[in-house]
Amino acid sequence: MAVLSTQGLGVAFGAKKAVNDFSLEVGEGQLVGLIGPNGAGKTTTIDAITGFVPATGAVTFDGTDISSFSSTQRARAGLGRTWQSSELFDDLTVMENLQVAAERIDVKGFLRDLVRPRNDDLSEMEAILDSLELTGAAGVLPTDLSHGQRKLVGVARALAARPKVLCMDEPAAGLDTEESQALGRRIRSLVDGGLSVLLIDHDMGLVLTICDYLYVLDFGQLIAEGTPAQIRADKRVITAYLGDRHGESEAEANGMPEASTSNLQEGEG
Amino acid sequence: MTFVRSWLTPKKIPAVVAGIFGVVVLVVILANSDQTQAIALGLGGGALIAAIALSITLNYQGSGVVNFAAGAVAMYGGYVYYGLRVNGQLFLPPIPNPLALVEGVVHLAGDKAFSLPHIPVFITLAHPGTGTAAYGTVIQQPAMAVWAAMLISLVVLALLGLAFHFLIFRPLRRAPVLAKVVASVGLFIVMQAVIVLRFTSSAKSVSPILPSSPLHLPRGVRVPEDQTLLVLIVIAVTAGLWALFRFSRFGLATRAASENEKGALVLGYSPDMLAGVNWVASTVLAGFFGILAAPINQSIDPITITLLIVPALAAALLARFSSFVVTTATGLALGMATSWIQLISNKSWFPKASGQALPGLTDALPFLVIIIVLAVRGKSLPTRGSIETVKLPFAPRARAAVPTTLALGIAAMVLLFFVTPVWRLSIVNSLVGMIICLSLVVLTGYVGQISLMQMALAGIGGFTLSKVADAHHIPFPFGPLLGALAAVVIGLLAGVPALRVRGVNLAVVTFAAAVTIQNLIFANPAWSGLKGASVKAPSLFGFHFGPNDPWTKPFSGGRGLLPNPWFGVFCALVVMVLVLVVVNLRRSRIGRHMLAVRANERAAAAAGVSVAGTKILAFGVAAFIAGLGGALSGYRFGSVTSLYFGAIPSMIFLAYAYLGGISSVSGAMVGGFIVAGGISTTIMTNWLHISDQYTLLLAGIGLIFMAIQNPKGVAGALRDGVHLVRRRMGRATPGHGLSSPDDVSPGPLQSATAEAGA
Repeated sequence: MAVLSTQGLGVAFGAKKAVNDFSLEVGEGQLVGLIGPNGAGKTTTIDAITGFVPATGAVTFDGTDISSFSSTQRARAGLGRTWQSSELFDDLTVMENLQVAAERIDVKGFLRDLVRPRNDDLSEMEAILDSLELTGAAGVLPTDLSHGQRKLVGVARALAARPKVLCMDEPAAGLDTEESQALGRRIRSLVDGGLSVLLIDHDMGLVLTICDYLYVLDFGQLIAEGTPAQIRADKRVITAYLGDRHGESEAEANGMPEASTSNLQEGEG
Repeated sequence: MTFVRSWLTPKKIPAVVAGIFGVVVLVVILANSDQTQAIALGLGGGALIAAIALSITLNYQGSGVVNFAAGAVAMYGGYVYYGLRVNGQLFLPPIPNPLALVEGVVHLAGDKAFSLPHIPVFITLAHPGTGTAAYGTVIQQPAMAVWAAMLISLVVLALLGLAFHFLIFRPLRRAPVLAKVVASVGLFIVMQAVIVLRFTSSAKSVSPILPSSPLHLPRGVRVPEDQTLLVLIVIAVTAGLWALFRFSRFGLATRAASENEKGALVLGYSPDMLAGVNWVASTVLAGFFGILAAPINQSIDPITITLLIVPALAAALLARFSSFVVTTATGLALGMATSWIQLISNKSWFPKASGQALPGLTDALPFLVIIIVLAVRGKSLPTRGSIETVKLPFAPRARAAVPTTLALGIAAMVLLFFVTPVWRLSIVNSLVGMIICLSLVVLTGYVGQISLMQMALAGIGGFTLSKVADAHHIPFPFGPLLGALAAVVIGLLAGVPALRVRGVNLAVVTFAAAVTIQNLIFANPAWSGLKGASVKAPSLFGFHFGPNDPWTKPFSGGRGLLPNPWFGVFCALVVMVLVLVVVNLRRSRIGRHMLAVRANERAAAAAGVSVAGTKILAFGVAAFIAGLGGALSGYRFGSVTSLYFGAIPSMIFLAYAYLGGISSVSGAMVGGFIVAGGISTTIMTNWLHISDQYTLLLAGIGLIFMAIQNPKGVAGALRDGVHLVRRRMGRATPGHGLSSPDDVSPGPLQSATAEAGA
């Protein structure tokens, strides 16, 4: 039973179709990867699922059609996301970043806070930080953290909202191989703990190792789907990544750096 | 409504609005000729509105700034020309004179006759001649020919444009929208203050520039020639700008830069150069029309043209800050509609107040246009693709808030009984000012939304208090609370359409709302009387503590001088409660949500924060606080007048709050300290002998300086100073653990890095 699915999802920017008639399914407790060269429409897909760009088609979450929900309503329903560039609240400490995601506001609580702010129970958020090895960073401002740590705080903040499904937009971008492998293990253990994840990443080694199922997009079009083993063998995927269309669109073809292409082949070993 | 929304796509709005205007105008013209006449007489005003709106659009295209000072630039241009033409003098803005400080100190020491040279105020270029008119009266001849005065004025305006670019807006090019708006508000205050200093605030009569013999149209309608010429000139300018932006590389590059600055670089233009050229063009344009249009009303004053910024913003907003043609068409339409409303206000069926036509409806029209555009369009200005590297000021959590508040509050209360009446009054003024600044800390400091109507909301608080206490005899503690609630209602009515969207919209809407409230309510003789709405002094259980209630000295007996210090004690108590409320707000969940919204709206939404809800809540809280402040202010003055509670006072209070430090409670304290009539003004006038005329000028300059240099304000600078001293003294700041982000030692951070790397 899919906890998150899209039916005929489409996003158009002017005349350009960034995502075209894309249907995907993320099963409960499943780690689903979404890959494709630069400009393939991966981030746009996540934006559409989480309500940050207007889209056609339908998004079903936990048995409900959430197509008409605002991004806030989707987040509150349990559909979390992380951002490519972390997008942390730079004026708040790491712990406060997590608190924002975990807390809801009601009228009673608001009035009480004006008189006497409640000291929240932070143990759950401390546990999240511990699990991502961010223990010492709780009182630090995000701007004082390294790039890799900022990305982890982004993940921690998303987890603090206790999501059912988490859409992760390139959580490993900018991390070195070792860090990205460690992150992969953590994501896998979250999924093994019951979370469902839709993961975008450029690191083919990472994606092919940890995902249960993969969708491959190119120019907003689904070109392949299947298990990592099936994807590795797929001709169209290899063509899309090696890009035998240099003359056609240099920028697109250059989108996939050499390293990632070799990663794709490495994964077979 | 959903049908309307789906059919009325954003692109259709200008066309639809223009169509409605067109139909109305047509019907009226067919109906009768006196209305046609009225509409025709609005052409000149419309041309000026259009020119100011074009200037705003040019600025926005060139540098992403919504310039609230565009009307002030037009007014300034009018005065430069006036000074040259009539007196042959080019006035200089006040330049700080270090010698004045020496003078002040000597005066303080007792030698009042001591005088040092001053920097000149005017440069005299020509001398006015005298001539003898009919009946033998001697009249003054203009000192300078029209063309010469015009030429010099335009050169001065071009230089001003360059100065604005290089001194103010270029340093702000990577700053958030908030800082840019604040700087343009500062510019507004400075230009107005300079003109009042040099020419006083009373109107000066100006002679015509363009020929003004009437042109005769069919059906007996006459249009003055000067107005027709103005319209023709503004249409020509619009056509020129349209062609320039459409066909030239320069225009293309500017349009590219307004969407993405890299686009301009690709075309071989530096975005910086484009911004500078557009600043010069927009300043000259607004000033030129200010000069030409001033004679239509036969006089020039510092307010009238300046406030045309409101209809001009409405026109620019309707045209999405991009289409010159729509901008000009809307500007002309608004001018004509204003003139038409003035005519029909003489009709018997027009809403009346005390037998006079209801005032302020001409101001309500652009406000309505703005509200409708925002409500229907539902999306903000096109965002500009530039990198913001300058951040909003940090919002610290207050430490040891309760003891500090108690100590300062009690000190102020005690002081009230021992100082002379002048100082007592200045303490009261500062306390009331702190309340308004606190309301801006919540809205602008915590959530990053700019309101230019806080003093108007304060006025609503005071006005409601006046009504419920006078007419309905509602006793003391409930009157001010009802006033605050009324401020919330009015505030939400005006602000909600803007709060749904991002960007500078709230600043635009609230400024228009402030002008409307000021003229519709506070200046309305039926509601506010001729001297403003009177406010009855407060009393509780028979204890009268209004500022003018007699009081006996606590220990020595005897009657004390007014104002009554118990009123000051009451103000101090209110400030203490509100300070703790705002401190708690920052420490609580809602405060975190507010700062999250300020930092990153997308990420806040993804974290489940209701962005619109948080903004609306902040606006409500801020309106409530401002309303309370207005009620206290009403008690303090005994009345509510448009003089203290309007659009321009709202701008000035933003300046005080920003100067003090917009993002912290201590900043609001400093802000209250420096308000006009507050403690710092009293120090300046009583000890340093600096005229209080300079308070505004200093506030405006300080505002611009703060926007560029140090957005943390005076309070932030003091905080940093204390930290520095502590560090120098080798004393570690007492442990605040996780709760004090600005005090974190690098220790745990490095260990975290090490772990993550492992």
